[in-house]
Amino acid sequence: MPALREVPDEPPPFLGTWRRVYAGVLLYLAAIIALCYLFSALYTFPLALP
Amino acid sequence: MSPLDWIVLFGTLVLIVAYGLYRSRGSDTVDRFLLAGKTMPWYAMALSIMATQASAVTFISTTGQSYIDGMRFVQFYFGLPIAMVILCATVVPVFHRAKVFTAYEYLEQRFDAKTRALASVLFLCSRGLAAGLTLYAPAIVLSAILGWPDRVTIALMGITVVMYTSLGGVKAVTWSDVQQMIIIFLGLVASLVTVFVLLPKSVSIPDAVYLAGAAGRLNAVTTNFDWNDRFTLWSGLIGGTFLFLSYFGCDQSQVQRYLTGSSIAQSRLSLLFNAIAKIPMQFFVLFIGAMVFVFYLFVQPPILFEQPQLAHIEHTAAFSSLQSRYEKAFGRRKEAATRLIAARHAGDPVAERRQFADYRAAQRDLDAARGEASRLVEANGGERGFSDTNYIFLSFVTRYLPAGLVGLVIAVMFAATMSASAGEINSLATVSMVDLYRRHFRRNASDHHYLMASRWATIFWGAYAVASAGFGHRLGSLIVAVNMLGSLFYGSLLGVFVLAFFFRGVRGTGAFWGMLLGEAFVFGAFLFTGISFLWYNVIGCVVVILTALAVTWFSSRTVAENRLVSGR
Repeated sequence: MPALREVPDEPPPFLGTWRRVYAGVLLYLAAIIALCYLFSALYTFPLALP
Repeated sequence: MSPLDWIVLFGTLVLIVAYGLYRSRGSDTVDRFLLAGKTMPWYAMALSIMATQASAVTFISTTGQSYIDGMRFVQFYFGLPIAMVILCATVVPVFHRAKVFTAYEYLEQRFDAKTRALASVLFLCSRGLAAGLTLYAPAIVLSAILGWPDRVTIALMGITVVMYTSLGGVKAVTWSDVQQMIIIFLGLVASLVTVFVLLPKSVSIPDAVYLAGAAGRLNAVTTNFDWNDRFTLWSGLIGGTFLFLSYFGCDQSQVQRYLTGSSIAQSRLSLLFNAIAKIPMQFFVLFIGAMVFVFYLFVQPPILFEQPQLAHIEHTAAFSSLQSRYEKAFGRRKEAATRLIAARHAGDPVAERRQFADYRAAQRDLDAARGEASRLVEANGGERGFSDTNYIFLSFVTRYLPAGLVGLVIAVMFAATMSASAGEINSLATVSMVDLYRRHFRRNASDHHYLMASRWATIFWGAYAVASAGFGHRLGSLIVAVNMLGSLFYGSLLGVFVLAFFFRGVRGTGAFWGMLLGEAFVFGAFLFTGISFLWYNVIGCVVVILTALAVTWFSSRTVAENRLVSGR
């Protein structure tokens, strides 16, 4: 592996650690998909049923 | 366009370019020209990353896509937050610490020179073609508005982009992107408000959303699994993750944005901002397209939105009967839509269901007539696979938006294209200079020499983009074309970076042959199967990894056998 420079890894400005920030982003994605699904279900699916 | 529109258009463009150049003062060394001296704040990088991806294609093609096919294109972006998290945790700190100008420079540190060179060439192929398409988008804007030939407008845009990119470098690109994103946001909001204002008084906003949904235009999530369906939840989550990992982790046009950050944290924040903001933004743009569809339920749209092609077939014998069929279908659809709203307001589910069936039947007739008109274009000398998707939103903007706002929306498209093209050309020049010229042709020249080489490379790639933009009209929906071209190369690039980060035992030869075989499989899938392009990234990546592991295993076995034979 190549030698890497020492660059300090600063903490994020919120939530304390980067792991918590990443978990927050993934939870946000799950919420967005759920909202998009509800949006589709609300406006598209009921009328399309036979 | 009115005089006010011209003033708004040119005023906005001059402001953006001038501000970008003003902020780029002092880009007089290679480090400052290519990486802005690593001084950029996270919000500037974040907006620049977003702007580079959201070119004029976002406005022109995504809205048209929604008008024709509904909002399911949004699923394409579901993999983006996952990809951003993976990149922030792995790639970003490594690139920062490796102190590289390009992503491919790291591949030589990790593997060898031939792997770096091959990855650089694959990037140049994919991004070079996409840069042409990015320039093509505003050319069709001008040709729609002014009747200018595409080639003239492509050349005009290309020259402007090359001028400010070659003078200001990545700093000019980034700061003009910031301005551009602010104007894009204003333009988006203004467009949606205008669509709502233009709807008939009897149609409320909830009614408009209901009508779009009844026509299948609000299908934001489709959960069926189909290898050949481009946009499903699964292709978005799996294929999209691979595509965005490749795009943001291996494509220099994006990597160069976050390499300009002053720290690892600043670069991470810029990517995570995109992880949060991108899906709502695309949803919003697609929603505008769906609302334009609703507007055209009550105002008859032309049978084809591309005016020159429409004029070309109007004289044919088949056209008049086709137009008559189209008008009747439009009348039926308008009636059905009006009755459907009335049934909804009356709370009569039986009538609602009956009107819904009429509404969908009329929509099918309308689509059939449009399809026949497209085939008529092809039969009369038009290109194969003719599509007017990219003209739908522009046609609406120029016909129905008020004076001043037309100029603003057109300025948004121009600015978006210029910044996106500038980012692409800037990265192409960087890879050409750093990974090929400085590495293989002139290793120990002065900083000034490499600065001038970067500027000449910028001019070369600008000319190349202009030349390849001439083929943009053959590729149907621009947004799909851009992502499809990228997918032909991204899988192999992603595969080699996955090897670099996660497979410590793999050496240069394995990575090199893995990339070659990965490309062969992806082109095989493209030429001989109907597999959706989002899966190309998965295929390419997996083939690269498996091949590299096989080569590594065979070569280590051969070495062991040779040692055994020689008795060492």
